Amino acid sequence: MSIVHTESLTKVYGDVSQPIPAVRDVNLTVEEGEFLAIMGPSGSGKSTLLYMLGGLDKPTSGKVWLRDSELSALNDDALSRMRRTEFGFVFQFFNLIPVLTAQENVAIPLILDGVPRARALKQADDALARVGLADRTMHRPTELSGGQQQRVALARALVTTPAVILADEPTGNLDSRSSDDVVQMLRRAVDEWKQTLVLVTHDSRVAAFADRIIFLKDGKIVDDNRLKGRGNADQIREQLSKMVLS
Amino acid sequence: MTAQSSNFGSTVWQMTLMGLRYLNGRRLRTALTTVAIVFGVAMIFAINLALPSMQEAFQQTITSFTGADLSVTSVSGESFPPAAVLEQISSVDQVKAVTGILHRQFSLPTLGESSLGDTTQIDLVGVDPASMENVHQFVISDGRFLEPGDSGKAVLPAGIAELAPQLGVGTTFPLITAGGLKFYTVVGLLAEQGDLAAPEIYVSLADAQAAFNQPGLINTVEVLLEPGANREAAAADIQQAVGAGFTLDQGSNDSNTLAAMQVGFAMFDVLGMLALFLGAFLIFNTFRTVVVERRHDLGMLRAVGATRRQITLLIVIESLIQGLIGTAIGLLIGYLMAQGMISVINVYATDFFHRGSLSLQFSLSGLLGAAAIGLATALIAGYWPARAAGKTAPLEALRPATPANIQRAARWSLIVGIGIMLLAVLLLLTGNQGAAGGAVLFLMGMVVTAPALVIPVARLISPLLSFGFAREGDIARSNLVRQPGRAAITASTLMIGLATLVMIAAMVLSFASLINSLADVNFSSDLILLPQSIAVYDNVIGADENLANRVRALPEVQDVGTMRYASAATADGQALQVMGIDPNEYSKVASFTVNEGSPDAAFAALGSGRNALFTAIALSTVGLKVGDDFMLQTAEGPQTYHVAGIANDLFTFKIAAIFISQTNLAADFHKTEDIMLMINLAPDADKQAALVDIQTILTDYPQFTAHLTGEYRDELANVTSGALILMYGLAFLILIPAALGLLNTLTINVLERTREIGVVRAVGGSRTQVRRVVTAEALLLGIFGAAMGVLAGVAMSYGFIAAFGTVGWEMPYFFPVAGIIAAVIVGVLLALFAAVLPARNAARLDIIRALQYE
Repeated sequence: MSIVHTESLTKVYGDVSQPIPAVRDVNLTVEEGEFLAIMGPSGSGKSTLLYMLGGLDKPTSGKVWLRDSELSALNDDALSRMRRTEFGFVFQFFNLIPVLTAQENVAIPLILDGVPRARALKQADDALARVGLADRTMHRPTELSGGQQQRVALARALVTTPAVILADEPTGNLDSRSSDDVVQMLRRAVDEWKQTLVLVTHDSRVAAFADRIIFLKDGKIVDDNRLKGRGNADQIREQLSKMVLS
Repeated sequence: MTAQSSNFGSTVWQMTLMGLRYLNGRRLRTALTTVAIVFGVAMIFAINLALPSMQEAFQQTITSFTGADLSVTSVSGESFPPAAVLEQISSVDQVKAVTGILHRQFSLPTLGESSLGDTTQIDLVGVDPASMENVHQFVISDGRFLEPGDSGKAVLPAGIAELAPQLGVGTTFPLITAGGLKFYTVVGLLAEQGDLAAPEIYVSLADAQAAFNQPGLINTVEVLLEPGANREAAAADIQQAVGAGFTLDQGSNDSNTLAAMQVGFAMFDVLGMLALFLGAFLIFNTFRTVVVERRHDLGMLRAVGATRRQITLLIVIESLIQGLIGTAIGLLIGYLMAQGMISVINVYATDFFHRGSLSLQFSLSGLLGAAAIGLATALIAGYWPARAAGKTAPLEALRPATPANIQRAARWSLIVGIGIMLLAVLLLLTGNQGAAGGAVLFLMGMVVTAPALVIPVARLISPLLSFGFAREGDIARSNLVRQPGRAAITASTLMIGLATLVMIAAMVLSFASLINSLADVNFSSDLILLPQSIAVYDNVIGADENLANRVRALPEVQDVGTMRYASAATADGQALQVMGIDPNEYSKVASFTVNEGSPDAAFAALGSGRNALFTAIALSTVGLKVGDDFMLQTAEGPQTYHVAGIANDLFTFKIAAIFISQTNLAADFHKTEDIMLMINLAPDADKQAALVDIQTILTDYPQFTAHLTGEYRDELANVTSGALILMYGLAFLILIPAALGLLNTLTINVLERTREIGVVRAVGGSRTQVRRVVTAEALLLGIFGAAMGVLAGVAMSYGFIAAFGTVGWEMPYFFPVAGIIAAVIVGVLLALFAAVLPARNAARLDIIRALQYE
């Protein structure tokens, strides 16, 4: 069953005289419970696409649906509510609020949504336990390693049981061991906790964990592969380099 | 419903926690930003506490000496013949007994060893023992009360023993009177302690009338009502009987002194408000920086679902926390300041105000008012950056700021700012009351224009820096123009401080010139005899004509002119001080400054009919113009006087006073008491010898002191310049928050550029170079602020001096060259001073840690 789909989604930067298209006429359907990786070279528009899927960026034309809601029809408040209840975000940088503890960082979407603090913090503890950080709840981000910080960010994305988790290069800033930890955790989110996940990456080893990979070039989907079981990283890498060269 | 409110509470609580932690993470900045709020709130709270306490003390004047039911005085405050009034009151139903009193509270000259010991002020009360007995029975602890026919006898309160232990029944003591020094014999001591600030000394009515040179007059009627009488009804009946020229239960108070003090305190209030204004700037500046710094955090919050309102709320809560902290500390300091003021005043209270010790009255409304102002300042200043923060789109917050926004803001501020300044200049040129508004508007216009000026001005003045900062000047300039808004606000803060300095310098010049030209008219005589206090004549006891005559009889003396005094009120109750002169005599020893015509014409006008010369202040307070007729409440009932012209002199220019002839003063106010004498000597007379002769006469009138006019004028000039220096002190107080603003901005600039500084150091920049970049930046800000301050200061001083002219103080405008030089020097020094700490911090940054700083 489709959970997110787009219709002729287009994003153009710059002004009329010098338009710089970032995303061009993208028609994409994300199935419920699927792990979708968006790949492509730098500047291919993959992050822009992800931001539009999550209501962070407004399309120049075209539409995005989350189930039956068309995002561009929503006002800022409704969109904000959507972000804290229906979407979960994981970014590459600046992912956590430095003055809050891990527990509070995770609880923030709930608190912003008006869940009483005690209950929000309890749910945050549960989410942190799921990502293996039960013993780090009272730590500040600066007291955690990079991998741990991304797991806190993942817990924050999970805590609201959103319709879709959107991750923008979540491993881009991590060493390979932490990177593996985080990707495996993402995989578990899909397999065990039945989350839908859309992930942007240029790392084929990361993309290899996905169920489906789409390739973006110059803002257009150039390839859409459904992988059977665990994907083959080498094969993906080869495909990516071919695309860059062509 | 419950869920809704607990939801909101949960969010607010989380925001508060975050705010506290953010503030705690930047303790130095938080402290610096809060200081101006502390300063402003403390100032306002202190004034609001101290002033009412003093007011209360000043209004604690006795409405009744005897504990009688009612007392009646004339509206003018002056004396009146008793017969008619006593009869009118006696005839009112429910009135059991009445008695007439003549009393005056006055200062005793400081004669060293006085026989009234430590008493500095007394209330001499003349009573008629026979009728007094019917109204009130005094309880005597020793001796007896006054009896009919007593002369030269006095009854003192028991408390006098504390001030003059040697006084007892049977002893005598001297007292100044209008007729010279008189001796009284103590015949009794009252059981009651009495008011030791101004002990009441009871003498016979005739003795008091002699002492004040007011034979046959009284100034108070005390009334005893029938037992069980309705006090209100009786009061109404009495008022009806005596007419509008009299008032019931109006104790006299030192309204002049109090008004003067209120003006002084208003200055402090203005200072407090200016400090809060600067505080608002600091908070605004800081939070604008905070919003930029926290772009990522805010963007993240937006990404995970925070609404615009929630982001705005977060910043508002944070500024409110600062406001709360600043206000709380400010209230505490303000309370201590008020306590300090009161205790300082208490030290002088007896000497200057002749009042008992004051105690600080806690005022809840004062506290709430100051707290509200402090919090509102923080709230308003924080709201705009907060709103800007809320408006940031989540993605925009994750990207660096675009220079395009800055340019747009600059053009906008240039257009609006110049518009405001043009309007301000138009107002300034009108030269009337609007000019003061124009001055303030000009300052606002400068504040609005400042962001647009940062880039061009920095370009303009940075070549100046190439002398001392050849390599660093350009880096400093580019650092500064990166955040034009912040630089503008910092320079604006400095501008307000320096503009105040320039304005005060210009006002001092103009004021000194005004004083000087006024002093010319008052101090043209050879010798001058002054009473216990000048300008406040309620507390003065003068001399009858004998003194002037004895002086006139001296061989060296050619002319003697005298000044007399009475209090009066206009028909609608506006108090006026009435100065009486003899135009012929006075014109030989002194003069006025007149707005139109010549002083001679003014003197001539006083020679006939009921003509009055108004001080400009009096004219504008009363709302009359030259040529009008008006009703004056005199001791002889309402009289029609004619406004013959405007005249000022040094003693009266700052009060609502009128000049009339001594003939009219005697007829309408029953006053023939000289309170000041000016003497011209014969052309060949020896001034020193004349002074000695006059001082010999004054041994009988110790209330007067004789001065060589020229010497006295010099003394006065010294005192005046002392007071004017105090004004500079106020200007420097305002510069404190301005310096904090500089320090704040430089600190923030360094913090923000930590990583950059790390890079500069890593590629070989020396500590000295880093320090010099920060110093050069401070200098640019300092020069920019000083330039704006000079411009605004000139406009403000011009506007205020023009506005003063319309209320009667016409002063010449002097371009404050010295003030401008001082402002530029102070601005640059302040900038250098503020740069010391941030520059050192920047230079000491650890390279590796600076590179990792986020």
